[in-house]
Amino acid sequence: MILHERKHNDIDIIELSGRFIMADTPEVRIRLTSLIKGGGGKLIIDLEKVTFIDSSACAVLISAFKNMQIKSGHLVLVTSPVVQSLIELTRLHTIFEISPNLASALDALESK
Amino acid sequence: MTANKSAPDIITLKIVSDPQNVSLLGEAISALCLYATKNEKCAQDIQLAVIEALNNVILHAYKNQVGNDIIVQWRQTTGCLSVEITDFGVSMKSIPPGSFPEFEAENGRGWWIINACVDEYYYKVVEFIERERVCTPSPKDEAFDAISVTSSKNTLTLIKHF
Repeated sequence: MILHERKHNDIDIIELSGRFIMADTPEVRIRLTSLIKGGGGKLIIDLEKVTFIDSSACAVLISAFKNMQIKSGHLVLVTSPVVQSLIELTRLHTIFEISPNLASALDALESK
Repeated sequence: MTANKSAPDIITLKIVSDPQNVSLLGEAISALCLYATKNEKCAQDIQLAVIEALNNVILHAYKNQVGNDIIVQWRQTTGCLSVEITDFGVSMKSIPPGSFPEFEAENGRGWWIINACVDEYYYKVVEFIERERVCTPSPKDEAFDAISVTSSKNTLTLIKHF
């Protein structure tokens, strides 16, 4: 899995690509925790290039969601079809704000 | 990872319990399923169920200890694929219910996913026991007989029809 961080105005963006499974979760969890702690309360997790995801990766996303809630911030996920499929299977689409691409995620957060 | 083809439609893969090995095995299983079914959704579902099962083995049967054997046997019969995942760690007392956890719970979705991705699954435990008997010269004394489980072989079988 490859992980990139960048910033767009006051919005933090973390982009993941490849397979996101249990072996990758410690690194992603640390990076997200640090980004949320030091960030301005607007975060996009871009999973558009993720080709496979499992429940342990979902656990990391839920942890990020909860940490962002504590900070009263906003988190938006950008999903690929594979990610969207698992998120719907696990019914997490009911708690996450999800955008189909980065542009719409940026639009959603810029208005907040 | 090592592979062995023992019969025309049976392939055995072996890894050691390290999360780094799970992805490669998952991809191998997906490729075999895609080859057998020509159905991407079916291959994706089985891969997901197998990866969830392997995660459970590493976390719960082997308590995150690296270096223990996990054997995965892929089998094809007419219209049916099965994958057996065998470990030699701590056995489950029963299969956890595939019920849905609290929405914000971080864990507990693995069995829900397995339940959703395959048509049938079952779990078999073979226990290897040590039996101890103590005999005394007096025939009136009862022999002490103790049985303890020294190790076990645990196999989760996942079945998907196509």
